[in-house]
Amino acid sequence: MSNQALPNQEGVVVIENLVKRFDDFVAVDNVSLRVSKGEIFGFLGPNGAGKSTTIRILCGLLAPTSGQATVSGFDVGKQSEQVKRSIGYMSQKFSLYEDLKVEENLDFFCGIYGVPRDRREERKVYALKMAGLESKRDELTGRLAGGWKQRLALGCAILHEPPILFLDEPTSGVDPVARRTFWDLIYDLSEAGQTVFVTTHYMDEAEYCHRTALLYGGRMIAMDTPRALKQALGVHSMEEVFITEIERQEARAK
Amino acid sequence: MNLRRGRAVGRKELLHIVRDSRSLSMALLVPFIMLGLFGYALSLDVNHLPMMIYDQDRTATSRDLVERFRATSYFDVKSSEATYQEIEAAINRNKIVLGIVIPPDYGKKMASGKLAPVQVLLDGSDSNTASIALGYVDSLTSVYSVEQIRGMANQRAGAHAEPIADAQVRILYNEDLKSRNFIVPGLIAVIMTIIASLLTSLTIAREWENGTMEQLLSTPLRPAELLLGKLAAFFLIGVADTVMAVLAGVFLFDVPLKGNLFFLGFTSFVFLFGALSWGIFISAAAKSQLIAYQIGLLSSFLPAFLLSGFIYSIDNMPLPIRVISTFVPARYYVSILEGVFLKGTGFRVLWYEVMWLFLYSSVVFTMAVRKLRTKVA
Amino acid sequence: MWERVLVIIRKEFRQTFREPRMRVFLFVPPLMQLFMFGFAVNLDLENSPIAFMDRDQTPESRELLSGFQGSRQFNLRAFPETDEAAQKLLDHGDVQAVINVLPGFARNLHKGHTVNVQILVDGSNSNNASILTGYCGQVVRQFAEKHGAAIPFQSAVAVPRVWFNPDLRSRNYFVPGVIMNIITMMTLMLTAMAIVREREIGTMEQLMVTPIRPIELMLGKTLPFVAIGFVQMSLVTAAALVVFHLPFRGSIFTLILATLIFLMTTLGSGLFLSTISQTQQQALMSSFFFFTPAFMLSGFSFPIRNMPESVQWLTMLNPMRYFIEILRGIFLKGLGPEALAPQLLSLLAIGTVVLVGSAMRFHKRLD
Repeated sequence: MSNQALPNQEGVVVIENLVKRFDDFVAVDNVSLRVSKGEIFGFLGPNGAGKSTTIRILCGLLAPTSGQATVSGFDVGKQSEQVKRSIGYMSQKFSLYEDLKVEENLDFFCGIYGVPRDRREERKVYALKMAGLESKRDELTGRLAGGWKQRLALGCAILHEPPILFLDEPTSGVDPVARRTFWDLIYDLSEAGQTVFVTTHYMDEAEYCHRTALLYGGRMIAMDTPRALKQALGVHSMEEVFITEIERQEARAK
Repeated sequence: MNLRRGRAVGRKELLHIVRDSRSLSMALLVPFIMLGLFGYALSLDVNHLPMMIYDQDRTATSRDLVERFRATSYFDVKSSEATYQEIEAAINRNKIVLGIVIPPDYGKKMASGKLAPVQVLLDGSDSNTASIALGYVDSLTSVYSVEQIRGMANQRAGAHAEPIADAQVRILYNEDLKSRNFIVPGLIAVIMTIIASLLTSLTIAREWENGTMEQLLSTPLRPAELLLGKLAAFFLIGVADTVMAVLAGVFLFDVPLKGNLFFLGFTSFVFLFGALSWGIFISAAAKSQLIAYQIGLLSSFLPAFLLSGFIYSIDNMPLPIRVISTFVPARYYVSILEGVFLKGTGFRVLWYEVMWLFLYSSVVFTMAVRKLRTKVA
Repeated sequence: MWERVLVIIRKEFRQTFREPRMRVFLFVPPLMQLFMFGFAVNLDLENSPIAFMDRDQTPESRELLSGFQGSRQFNLRAFPETDEAAQKLLDHGDVQAVINVLPGFARNLHKGHTVNVQILVDGSNSNNASILTGYCGQVVRQFAEKHGAAIPFQSAVAVPRVWFNPDLRSRNYFVPGVIMNIITMMTLMLTAMAIVREREIGTMEQLMVTPIRPIELMLGKTLPFVAIGFVQMSLVTAAALVVFHLPFRGSIFTLILATLIFLMTTLGSGLFLSTISQTQQQALMSSFFFFTPAFMLSGFSFPIRNMPESVQWLTMLNPMRYFIEILRGIFLKGLGPEALAPQLLSLLAIGTVVLVGSAMRFHKRLD
């Protein structure tokens, strides 16, 4: 078992035949895909389709039942330590410490991700600026409105400049304006070379991704650029893509 | 292992603690409340037992006996003219602990040198007090008897009948038999386990419930670093409480401290380390604050209170419980505390207990690290 | 209104019993506590380890030894031969007393001189020291009587009649207190947590938007724990009767009545705690802080009589004090509501004040 990454794999996510079973329930059913560096990859699907489960496996939070996945060239099963150093994760609940101030949360994650001392202030300022929270440094996190918390959580996830970002439903419960701003941020990051792997059930956000995969019942039923998906089905929006594909699946099940 | 990550955790924990001033002040008040209770309010010393006497004889002899009871501070004679019904009612109502019934022929029997029984009616519900009360009555009557015999023998033949064997008792370590002296050292152990079971047992469970645990698991943070960071923060509170307890015990309650302070500090450190690790282990295992708290109380506080020998002696317990108590770390720490405070003993005598504490703390620490290593599923 | 209350009660029950850990948690800890207290707490001194140092080594000294050996109050652990060895045993805590028979013991006995037996007692635990001293003195005195053939006279002797607990088993004294401890802790804590947890998660807000009235919410949140409290009470009492042979001389009706009134105080306190706690941690710590001193000062193990006067007055406000007296009265003394009226009424008064006060505070918080 080596501690080295596969060469030239920084920022790349490869999933091969991934299966995750919880007792009898198959949450992830033989999923395979590949995400390139700098790509914004969207993972769509209804609730319970296996999106969150997949992301958590990639982050090293869950162990796969079978199959393989590498993140930045590191195997998620055997090299989870290295995986964690090269990713930033934002969970559905934002998972910030409500009783810490904004700055204190940032300090904490700087320490956890091992941001070098001489870079800390610089990274913090960057995160604050990106999140628009410069004036709220001393504010208690618990007092922030949803949109601010969301951007703070993103800020905490990028302090160490990870090649890959995993965002699990990052915009749930956030107003449309804040959502748009958030996606502007994601674009900025992607242009700077960061890979962003995001799950969402907002279909309009799917349009923003470079490529999307559609999950249903743990299985990947479609994967392509939004444009290609729409063309293939002859529809005009990802929402229609989504509904059509789902209906197809349900018909097939009958 | 990366100390910087651990330090980040420690700093965060301290912020949590400081921000919750209600919990913090409660945690710092623990030693004072416990000391106040056990050093001042609660006492097992038995004195001034309220009693009544039903004197059916009413002779000079019987009144002499009554005076004996009045004279000693162990008893507080509420009435020497009570009737049987009054005594019964008073015992029922918890007004008195015992009643004495002196039979009508008491004086006659005493004068003729015959056996003169005196009835003692005892409220047995509090057996501790009752046993001691009985013991007091017993020694009072036997001393009285001996004097009577001597007196009568002197009257008769001028010869002395000396008691044949007499027990000379020397009480060691606690000459004035103040129960406070033996309670306060052991209390320090109890105080520490309160911190461990209250504060520490909630910390990881709370992160699970809030979802931040998941976040932490996705970072490079290693389990040992998380554990040490949290331990460091709670250690500060534990040490503060211990120091306050020792100072209060010595200066406010005049408990002697005959042994070596360094030894005390060192063993306290080891115990605290283990107690806090146990709290974190429970927290990681339970994942729910309510359950973690209950388990913490049951596995840390209660055993320290009941099974450590702090108040209730282990020797008196049935065998299976005694076996269980060998796995209660507080037991060894209490022995060490009592030794250091009251007997002035040190490592040479207490090495066995120190060894157990070390063993316990290392095992629990390992368990906690392992438990924190678990994935979400 | 009752329909809405029932809905909440049903939800509480479902939430509580759905989690398998909670199901265990409701019944295992109480039993464990009962057994821990019941078996561990035994102030009756038996099996006390002692050492016997026989410097005389005569048949008489050995006879004295057999007096100690035969009794179940002592556990003869060691026979040290030097003073240093004896001191070491005491220092280590290996024995709690050393009986020291000096050389010349038998000779002085036969000559009719006073013979001294030296007893060194470890006074660390002063209560035990007192009792142990008494026991040792008894053995010596019995030995003296046997050899005191020169004294034909006996004299005043105490004939004890012990009421309610003839074997003087300390367990009978404690276990009622343990029963009270268990139901108090459970009902107090669960009530406070039920409310605070909902506030933390945010579903409380949800409830407040509905037509539900504060009083209905309160009833819904406290009544389930009355039921749970009763079940636990029955379980623990049954276990105490069976395992510890605790006597039960009173009536079940009185027990139920008293428990109901007592629960008013615990549930009211739980309500109150929920109004002063923002987080679960605060609720739990507050319940410990509130409950532990009250329990210690209830007379469950440390007699109220022994407390300083000012503290004794304070305990008159402690509902646990009255409930313990009632429990002991029912279990051990077979007393009924008439005899226990003062305690029952005191409980009722405290219960009403606590419950109404907390309810009002709770009501205010919601608006």
